[in-house]
Amino acid sequence: MIDSFQRMRWIAANTFLEAVRQKFFNAVLLLSVALVVGSVFFQQFDFGSSELKFISDFGFGAVFLFGSILSIVLSTQLFFNELDNRTALTLLAKPIHKLEFLAGKFFGAYALMFCFTFSLSLVLAGLLFWRETVLMGQLAEGFDRGRLIRYGDVFVFGFIQWIKFGVIAAMTLFVGSFAQTNLFTIVVSFFGLVICQLQYIARDAYLGMAAGAGRWLVQGLSWLFPNFQLFNIGDQLVYPVEEPLALVTLGLITAYGLVYSVAFVLLAQLNFRSREL
Amino acid sequence: MPSHAISIQNLTKDFSVGLRGLKLRAVDGLNLEVEAGQIYGLLGPNGSGKSTTIKIILGLLRPSAGHCQLFGQPCAEVAARRSLGFLPEAPYFYRDLSGRELVRFYARVCGVPRQQIRKQVDSVIELVGMSEAASRKVGTYSKGMLQRIGLAQALVHDPELVILDEPTAGVDPLGAADIADIIRELKRSGKTILLSSHLLAQMEGLCDRVAILHRGQLIREGRVDDLLTQADAQSFVVEGLDPAAQFKVERAIAEAGGELCRVEKTQRSLDALFLEAVNERAQAAAQEVSHD
Repeated sequence: MIDSFQRMRWIAANTFLEAVRQKFFNAVLLLSVALVVGSVFFQQFDFGSSELKFISDFGFGAVFLFGSILSIVLSTQLFFNELDNRTALTLLAKPIHKLEFLAGKFFGAYALMFCFTFSLSLVLAGLLFWRETVLMGQLAEGFDRGRLIRYGDVFVFGFIQWIKFGVIAAMTLFVGSFAQTNLFTIVVSFFGLVICQLQYIARDAYLGMAAGAGRWLVQGLSWLFPNFQLFNIGDQLVYPVEEPLALVTLGLITAYGLVYSVAFVLLAQLNFRSREL
Repeated sequence: MPSHAISIQNLTKDFSVGLRGLKLRAVDGLNLEVEAGQIYGLLGPNGSGKSTTIKIILGLLRPSAGHCQLFGQPCAEVAARRSLGFLPEAPYFYRDLSGRELVRFYARVCGVPRQQIRKQVDSVIELVGMSEAASRKVGTYSKGMLQRIGLAQALVHDPELVILDEPTAGVDPLGAADIADIIRELKRSGKTILLSSHLLAQMEGLCDRVAILHRGQLIREGRVDDLLTQADAQSFVVEGLDPAAQFKVERAIAEAGGELCRVEKTQRSLDALFLEAVNERAQAAAQEVSHD
């Protein structure tokens, strides 16, 4: 068991190293940082919200958008590079289980997504701190109780998004486990992402239906895809609100994401086990 | 330990082709036994089932029928691969790692104990002659260097059985001769080597036994000497005969009831000529440098 974890660790470390050295990751990271920093200059589109709220919403949007793209594209690339370049042949000819290979790939991509979300959260927190300090000097009466922003919450949001990116990466690996091309995997995974974003519609639908086969079917479908709306907790974070996010809720969302990640990796293993290389 | 490193019984592999799932038989009822400590050659034209057989041995493909065992263990089991090293045809490795990082990575995933990793890695890198280039990125390596570093990763966990799929493909004759020397060295250290190659001259000089596959079926198998020796013919290599003496020899053969099939000039192989010429030039250059 310890040996198995060690092997996964080494495969994950190698996957991480390979991905970090790819231009795509660095380009997306730079673009995301530029977008977050650029939010300061986009305030004419703020539609009436306060400057700090606008910056945080814009930053959260950038984390979600680029994080989702990165999760899908990088997971696909890291998996198919191994198959297309036949490095998987050399690796799987070693005493390695296919599950260790898949889990190693997943953890490598997951570690990369951690770096991405942490970096972006750090930039966003820094930007908010700078703007809040400037505004405190200009509008002292609005900050008579000190700083408004809870900076730790920026990282809590980043953490929850990272959990979600894990689900997306695992779902992408699942699609890749039966797909023949990386283009197919990317397209289907993006469709999966959209379905997961809109999953609450299915939930609302079955709640309004009478008990019976139709309701079970819709309910079953809603369980098949994770509900990504649960991860949209930005409104309960960062600024003082009437109902701040409870720690228990945070734990439940994390567990929800981890269960789906593990389930998708195990489903990917079911497909990949019988795949002939 | 069982005397057979590889034991294959009635192995068959079918692939489904097209939407209608038509069966393409890549390996057809193959029986093969490779004894431990041998260099065993797998020969055959493209599409003869060599690579499919190797992939089944490696556990990468599942046979449609039949059995395959490595040192008595079913080859589909991961544990069977602990004693196996593999160099794929035209290997491609992680380009951004250095040669040493690459071999270290494979040592780790193969479970080489932490305290032995450095020694093992350095040892195999030296064996394949890559010590000077080990710090360079794999992406900058030539084909020959890739084959050498591929050989190093196949040997880093000190396997009992080494499978080499076209180990000299795309390598110049000097590099191929070096790889052949490494293979002989592996045999001397007690390893079993399964070799697949199109270079028949090299296989002839290296292998103890060979199997020839055609359309997935075994059509010849045996010791190289036995397969190549013509039992009813002898050859004499003679120097310094003038035409009159040659005539006498030919008449003596006829009188003794033999039939002289042909008289020809003895030739070296082109490989031998090339190696001799290049080595002579390299030695001369080395001497010039030492004189300077």
